[in-house]
Amino acid sequence: MFLIQLKHELWKLFGKKRTFIGFGVFLLAQNVVVLMFRFSKASTGIRRALEGGGYPAADFITAETIATIVVIPIAYLLLPLYVALVGGDLVAKEAEDGTLRMILARPVSRLRLLSLKWLAGSLFALLLSVCLGVFGLAFASLWFPQGGLFATQIDGEGPRGGFSLFGASEGLWRYTLAHLLLATKAVSVMGLGFMFSCFNMKPAAATILALSVLFANGILMNIPWFADYKGWFITHHLNLWQWVFLQPAPTSRIIGSLCLLAGFNVTFFSIGAAAFQARDIKS
Amino acid sequence: MIQLAQVQKRFGARLAVDALDLHVPRGAVFGLLGHNGAGKSTAIGMLLGQVWPTAGDVKVCGHDVLRDRAKALAKVGAIFEAPVFHDYLSGRTNLEILSSYTAPTSPARIREVVAWVGLTGREGSKVRTYSHGMRARLALAQALLPGPDLLILDEPTNGLDPEGIHEMRETIRRLHAELGLTILLSSHLLSEVEQLCSRIAVMNQGKKVFDGTLAEARRAQSWVRLRTSDLGAAVAELRAAKLVVAERDDGAIALAEGAATSEVVRRLVELGFPVHEIATEKPTLEDFYLSLMRQETPDAGRRTADA
Repeated sequence: MFLIQLKHELWKLFGKKRTFIGFGVFLLAQNVVVLMFRFSKASTGIRRALEGGGYPAADFITAETIATIVVIPIAYLLLPLYVALVGGDLVAKEAEDGTLRMILARPVSRLRLLSLKWLAGSLFALLLSVCLGVFGLAFASLWFPQGGLFATQIDGEGPRGGFSLFGASEGLWRYTLAHLLLATKAVSVMGLGFMFSCFNMKPAAATILALSVLFANGILMNIPWFADYKGWFITHHLNLWQWVFLQPAPTSRIIGSLCLLAGFNVTFFSIGAAAFQARDIKS
Repeated sequence: MIQLAQVQKRFGARLAVDALDLHVPRGAVFGLLGHNGAGKSTAIGMLLGQVWPTAGDVKVCGHDVLRDRAKALAKVGAIFEAPVFHDYLSGRTNLEILSSYTAPTSPARIREVVAWVGLTGREGSKVRTYSHGMRARLALAQALLPGPDLLILDEPTNGLDPEGIHEMRETIRRLHAELGLTILLSSHLLSEVEQLCSRIAVMNQGKKVFDGTLAEARRAQSWVRLRTSDLGAAVAELRAAKLVVAERDDGAIALAEGAATSEVVRRLVELGFPVHEIATEKPTLEDFYLSLMRQETPDAGRRTADA
């Protein structure tokens, strides 16, 4: 019965056109960036960095490299926006429309309903992350050859301005793993929006609050004097997917952040569930 | 089927429902009357476990809604004013989704209920293409899917045109007659309640101010049309004799409990007032309801009589 109800939650979610906005914008943004790399001098910087280090640029200006470059800004800006939008909608939109009252006239518990909605939202977040990876690689492959992976190291996680190089098979493997870990970011941001959605507020307010929390965390984390406390900020752990591109990959740190994100998610769900349980559902 | 005992609901400083006792027996068509904001929807919300009572006990189908909501609502269907669905999905999909929150429902059962409410042929269309009347029928279908024993209808005719109101009224009659459902009908439309319900409760400012049969409601206050030479003086004499308790501007008088028109005539004749006309008005629910609403809450409370 739980699976049937989950299927119905997915029908509701994927029956709405705005659920697909994220997919559409990813398609557009990735194509634009890939075409810009192909038909401009944008790849000169990569070439210079590689050749300056004595590496053959032709082996690393590849579909994997371009797809990885494309995914970073999208994962920072667009992905949180779309998953927060869906998370903020999950409960608050049904409450606003009045369909929640119809559902809660049935003998389904509020906790079960929330579990179904959270799972549906998480599946959406996972799918969006996977599509981001697949679309990016597919479009980049139309214009660039397959091969090795060149990945710049993010500030604070390696030598400033440094980069990592991987062979073709390891590059593809790291690219795949990064996107699977990116799904944990997507699920967590969705969960944050979902938590606010459980309170008595408009769906847009839930989305804005979730994004505000993220931005506030990001701002604090990036204040240089707070560098010693970056582990306290969720945004630091949400970036764990990029650590896959470090050489060697900091496995224990990734696992530690995964555990912390799991904790954050349990906390978000618990707070949301407690607020929703205490609420009066009225028209 | 429904038992509320001393139920109270407070929203901050506002007391929405106060010490509400309600008993709806199996098989009844029970009307819950009151103006907008009287506390009817809050009471229904508490019956369905959507609104948490501040105090009191709420039982539906013999089960405590707070402790055992799943059992209490297993055989309950509900319709709310202005039924809302997922517009971008078909009527059938909406029914499948909503029914899955109660129990697995076979496609055959869905077809059966769709036919019962008269939506066959349109169940595959998106709900956004439905008229208001069709949405009302879809709402009825979703309420009937679990095979309910109790149907809770919260202002079910709101927003319907006269034809739709008539259709809904006939449907409610059919539900009671053909399926034997117990029905709780919340409404502020007196004519609707008068035509459908055998028993009513009236709420005003969160309090129940009357609970009884329609016949009791009509008996509760009867007016007598009186024409005499000097009505003011005559009424004053009748009041002094404790035969009359109230009067209206149009010359109608309310007799005291136990007083008969023959006594009034005898008294007036003894006092020398010519009686040109005296006739008992047929009491309506509207008269009764308005009289309840006009009263102060403490007076109204005295009218409350448990079944």
